[in-house]
Amino acid sequence: MVLPRLTGALRSFSNVTRQDDYRGESSDLMNKRSKLREQVLESDLTWKKITQFVTGIVDQKEHEAINEGLKEILQAAKQIVGTDYGQEAVESAAVFLLKTFYVKESVGQNETRAIKQMFGPFPPTSATTACNAAYRIVSLLSHEKLNGLSQLFQENGEEDKVLFGKNVIFSFDMYELEKADDIPINGSIDIEDQLTLDF
Amino acid sequence: MPVLPLDERCVDHKDAVSGKLQSVPALNPKRAQSRHFVVYLPPPASCSPALLEEFLERSEFIIQDLHWLLSLPHDLFWCQVIFDESLQKCLDSFLSNCPRRYDLHPPLPVAAQNAQREIHRCVFLTFLRMSTHKESKDHYITPCVFGEIIYNNYLFDIAKLMDICVLFGKGNSALLQKMIGNIFQHQPSYYQDLNDSVPTLLQVLCSILDVFGLQQDQDLVEPQKLEAQKRSTPLEMPVQELKDAVLYFCDSSSTLWAFLDIFPAASDTFRKHDFLSRLSNFYELCCPELENAIIKRKFEDKSMQTDLWRRLSHSRKKILETFHIILSNTCLQPILEHRAENIQPYIEDVLQVLTVLLPDRRFVCDYDELFPVAEDLNLLQQVSPTLDETRTSYILHGVQGAWADTRRPI
Repeated sequence: MVLPRLTGALRSFSNVTRQDDYRGESSDLMNKRSKLREQVLESDLTWKKITQFVTGIVDQKEHEAINEGLKEILQAAKQIVGTDYGQEAVESAAVFLLKTFYVKESVGQNETRAIKQMFGPFPPTSATTACNAAYRIVSLLSHEKLNGLSQLFQENGEEDKVLFGKNVIFSFDMYELEKADDIPINGSIDIEDQLTLDF
Repeated sequence: MPVLPLDERCVDHKDAVSGKLQSVPALNPKRAQSRHFVVYLPPPASCSPALLEEFLERSEFIIQDLHWLLSLPHDLFWCQVIFDESLQKCLDSFLSNCPRRYDLHPPLPVAAQNAQREIHRCVFLTFLRMSTHKESKDHYITPCVFGEIIYNNYLFDIAKLMDICVLFGKGNSALLQKMIGNIFQHQPSYYQDLNDSVPTLLQVLCSILDVFGLQQDQDLVEPQKLEAQKRSTPLEMPVQELKDAVLYFCDSSSTLWAFLDIFPAASDTFRKHDFLSRLSNFYELCCPELENAIIKRKFEDKSMQTDLWRRLSHSRKKILETFHIILSNTCLQPILEHRAENIQPYIEDVLQVLTVLLPDRRFVCDYDELFPVAEDLNLLQQVSPTLDETRTSYILHGVQGAWADTRRPI
């Protein structure tokens, strides 16, 4: 239940605020997910670029294993996204999965939450498949080549950006209830109720 | 070469349709990203896993988006802030819905606590960035244009400023004082908005009295309908209603106080509306009745009685402190600091205010306990040797009489 607030009255009854509605309908989250998918689709980092990059930095003899891993990730992406959104959406989901798992050995809570945020509920086995495939691909890369892959992801991501106010010392303190005297025991503040010895 | 202010700069922008580069004003809706910020909802009251998960998911979206926003360069930050309505809704929903520490709220799981804290920090930093026209030597907005931008786009309004004070004021008061001072300095229209808001704030006090069935006939704006039922008093009303009304009282007194504590320059505006006598009247009508009810009523849950008592005591103190801030800033400080050449009108003001509140005897006692009236009168005598002693004696006798009436030792 929403608590009545002083500022709620100002928002409702005065003419000095913008009138808005903040009920936060459930469609809010769905719209956000589809917006996120759109953003991934618009990213310059395509599945084709990644496959070319990865196969380009490993020896010919490892191509088969690498391709197998990439295929599994693409397949997992298809299961998570579904086929309704077309090949482009599946490929962008595959980019997202590889980016999520390339430095992970298993599917943790953060990864599960990240995938769910992007695509909504999904089959857990698909995430495990993608994670295992990403792990196998990465194990074929030298430290230097893995750095190259990291750089590819970072160039197209939002990492390493400086946040405004990072040096601001912020306090989480909030106003609390002040200390109060105890309730008068069996007492009353009514004058007529007060004990008198004046018989 | 000096860098132009953001509001005068142009940048090259790639047209989405033609793909051609064109020169556009730096502050331009085309440069804002369609991000779709989600609205903030408070943590669930129950620990249902599904509700908690939804809260965490929503929080994660907000945190990511605010991190992204705060990492934007100055020009893109302002484009987003001005032209993305979903961002404004997100920020305002946080201010409206974020639980205050004095609200009743069950403890949260650690994950939810952490999410809540990070949103809290990011929202503050966002408002901090929005409240300054000069971020650095090269990144600034012309001050008067800054004032227009924040006002015309409702980036700040009186309700938001009050929420900001109550949510962030405790630990960040110095920074907040600068922020709010800056906002009022660059956009004086906020003083007019504050002036227009005071009647609504007074109406809130009336509505609290009304809920408690304590509204006096002369306070009623409209004539009562003949068939209108008389409201039940705090002693008779259902416990849940009593609890809700005490929570409302607690929030109202805390918010009002927090705003004036951070921005005491607002006191003059409040004074214009006869706020002091309305506040003492409200206190006089409301607090003794509520105290009596909380003491006398039989509560099935004793902890609720203690909780209501604590909230009432807190609210009482906030009303008294609010009164003191206004009196102090409009009359006492100018006398102390010799801000005015002629202090006589201020002295007259203090005497007038203290005289008028004498009939509110309970208020007088409680105020005198926290802020001794004799000390203020003593100050007046020091700065004005010709002070009319009859008037000061009248006030002091009035205070003593109030103490005697309430049978409390002075």
